Amino acid sequence: MLAELRGVSYRYPSSNAWVLEDVDFHVDSGEYVLLAGPSGCGKSTLARILNGLIPNFYGGTLRGFISIDGKDPRSTPTYRMALSVGFVFQNPENQLFFSDVERELAFGLENLGVDPGEIRRRVEEAIREYGLEGIRHRSPSELSGGQKQKVAIASVMVMEPKLLVLDEPTANLDPLSAVKILGLVKREVLRKNIGVVVIEHRLELALPYVDRMVVMKDGRVVAEGDPYVVVEEAGEVVGVPAIFDVYRRLVRAGLALGNPPRTPEELAAKIMAVLGDG
Amino acid sequence: MDAAIVVDRVHYVYPGGVEALRGVSLRVAKGEFIAIMGENGSGKTTLIKHFNGVLKPSSGRVVVDGVDTRKAPISVLSRKVGLVFQNPDHQIFSETVWEEVAFPMRNYGFPEEVVEERVERYLRIMQLYKYRDRSPFLLSLGEKKRLTIAAVLAYDPEIIVLDEPTAGQDYLQKEQISGIMNLLRTMGKTVIVVTHDVEFVVQHVDRIVLMSQGRVIAEAPPSKALTDPSLLARARLMPPHLARLAIQLSRRGVYSLSGYPEIGDVVDQVLKRWAR
Amino acid sequence: MTSPLQAFKYTRKDTFLDSLDPRSKFFLSISLLLISLFTQSITVQLAVIGSTFLLVAAAKRLRQWVPTLQAITPLVLLIFAVNLLFSTPPSLAYAALMSLRFLAVTAAFSMFFLTTTPDDLALALEQSGVPREYSLMFTMSLRFIPTLAEDVETVGAALMSRGFKLDEGNIIKRAKNYVYLLVPLIVYEVRRSLMIAEALEARAFGASEKPTRVKELKMRARDYIVLAASLLASFSPQIIMWLGLNPP
Repeated sequence: MLAELRGVSYRYPSSNAWVLEDVDFHVDSGEYVLLAGPSGCGKSTLARILNGLIPNFYGGTLRGFISIDGKDPRSTPTYRMALSVGFVFQNPENQLFFSDVERELAFGLENLGVDPGEIRRRVEEAIREYGLEGIRHRSPSELSGGQKQKVAIASVMVMEPKLLVLDEPTANLDPLSAVKILGLVKREVLRKNIGVVVIEHRLELALPYVDRMVVMKDGRVVAEGDPYVVVEEAGEVVGVPAIFDVYRRLVRAGLALGNPPRTPEELAAKIMAVLGDG
Repeated sequence: MDAAIVVDRVHYVYPGGVEALRGVSLRVAKGEFIAIMGENGSGKTTLIKHFNGVLKPSSGRVVVDGVDTRKAPISVLSRKVGLVFQNPDHQIFSETVWEEVAFPMRNYGFPEEVVEERVERYLRIMQLYKYRDRSPFLLSLGEKKRLTIAAVLAYDPEIIVLDEPTAGQDYLQKEQISGIMNLLRTMGKTVIVVTHDVEFVVQHVDRIVLMSQGRVIAEAPPSKALTDPSLLARARLMPPHLARLAIQLSRRGVYSLSGYPEIGDVVDQVLKRWAR
Repeated sequence: MTSPLQAFKYTRKDTFLDSLDPRSKFFLSISLLLISLFTQSITVQLAVIGSTFLLVAAAKRLRQWVPTLQAITPLVLLIFAVNLLFSTPPSLAYAALMSLRFLAVTAAFSMFFLTTTPDDLALALEQSGVPREYSLMFTMSLRFIPTLAEDVETVGAALMSRGFKLDEGNIIKRAKNYVYLLVPLIVYEVRRSLMIAEALEARAFGASEKPTRVKELKMRARDYIVLAASLLASFSPQIIMWLGLNPP
């Protein structure tokens, strides 16, 4: 298992309330996990445990079993966690520091003391993979929201982490850019066999890409598994995507539609298959 | 019908030289709910800042409730047009939740008993009354969002403009904002929302104005605009999943698309076909 | 957005000045500064401004450079007035000298910032032995100026949209008004700095005692030529005197 948390509880310093209580969570290599739930439910806290910002940056009391790529964030500084876990934040504005995309990509590797020749090789590779040739010398602050977030992802992926955590990466993006970012992450899962945890409120955007869904509420995990099953259990917390609603009603009426669909086009195809495509 | 806002061939050039609006014309009727949609940088936010005079047109004119915005100060125009900005952190100025809602009314010189009554009413509507003595900065993002809406509703402007009300909001917070939209409807307000949220728009607005590169590229009711994928793509939007399903099914003759699809209707039509 | 800030903001262009090492460019600006500080001659001040003008024109930055000078004109006039009033005996030439000196120094440093990326500046600092913590602090303070300016604008717009008359009343009233502007700004920027700190941690900032650098600044022939020319220019009055000529 790439990352595993068992019976994890956490409270911030100067607070008596536990923001996480007895949380079990796991993510494996090659797995794209959607983490959802109302704001304040502890998603972001959980995400920050995965890369060690909790407890290294925030302090507080952290209990339970934690193994992330074999490391325990309580005994591993954040910069060492960064070798295993890449983290992308909601607002790209606050995670891009330089006035040149190339330098932005190199920064993490420089901090790790990687040899300049190797840095150049990896930066070139990232520029190719992420299609950044045309903007390699632009200032990230001048790019569009979608491009900024693409650069932010590339700038952590150059460190070759095994787990990528994204905290509401598309909240500031238009739907088309958002879908592109989530799709780009899917490509990384497939190509590099990394594990991904993405926090996202808009289920319709994320559903086509994710393998598994975890819903949290009030600091606990309340549902976990196949997105359709999870939505059946926790629909009142996260909402029910329209295609799941249609699918559920048709299945209950007796249509044999097979596995739950992830896209409207897939559902339409399943319906046509049952109707015998007239 | 009376016009709440008339935008007449407006161009706007930022001091840096960027032309953000390139000849926008638009008419919003009193009591109408419209959505302005389009990619980031298409000029949506620049346009709504013209409605209360924060920005004045470089050429062309904007008339709000009969007043040319170039001839009135922001304080007068804001009395007619309440603008709720996207990020609550940019618009919280007071030490307590109570004072935050009272703040605009104090600026407009409302009598104290009116202030008291309205602050309490709107804090209760927004389920924030229990926090009245707290610092607004300690509220959650969703609560702050409702607080900024309360502060605008309380001074009772005729026109309410909301910039991305559902961005970054979770499912339950979105439901609450939907509730607020319904409330605004019963109050007879004119409402303009800037949003990317196609599902939200389906539920609440009469008309969608699509913008791209500083121009209005289309105006249509949601039932029409949101079932036209090629039109939406020009504004970097996608049809909602339900519309995409309905489009697919109608192409294959299983569903007849008229107006915006409803889940029950889609299910019924498929089942009817299946029974045959 | 705001023009005085814009005028110090780097924009990428491909000219001779851009191709120079930031250190030689800095030396060039310093020598212009020294000439301006040590001369008592109005002609030389004009010559400094004139040559800076030519350099900026060659770097195709006049469109940003000229607004800077326009923006500081009130300050130049103030310096002129103060020196005229307080010099004994009142001397028009002295007041002109002081105000031109200010203009010359601003012109020279505006040229430096307009043609040097914050990244290169930080690199120059690092290669001069400044630890990365400090060089980064420098880059970031430049990097976030436009972001901050945007926040100020948005908060101001939001405040006025609540019926608040930001720019009315006497000067004390106005100063008080701006407190309203500061509260959300401070809260927000503190939060932003926390988010930036998180993002830095996530990029392994501080991992190694000796971070590597993918780009190393290198002095080239053209840099040494600029260095030599600057040095020569700095000492030109002395050279002229040494040659037995009267300084202008």
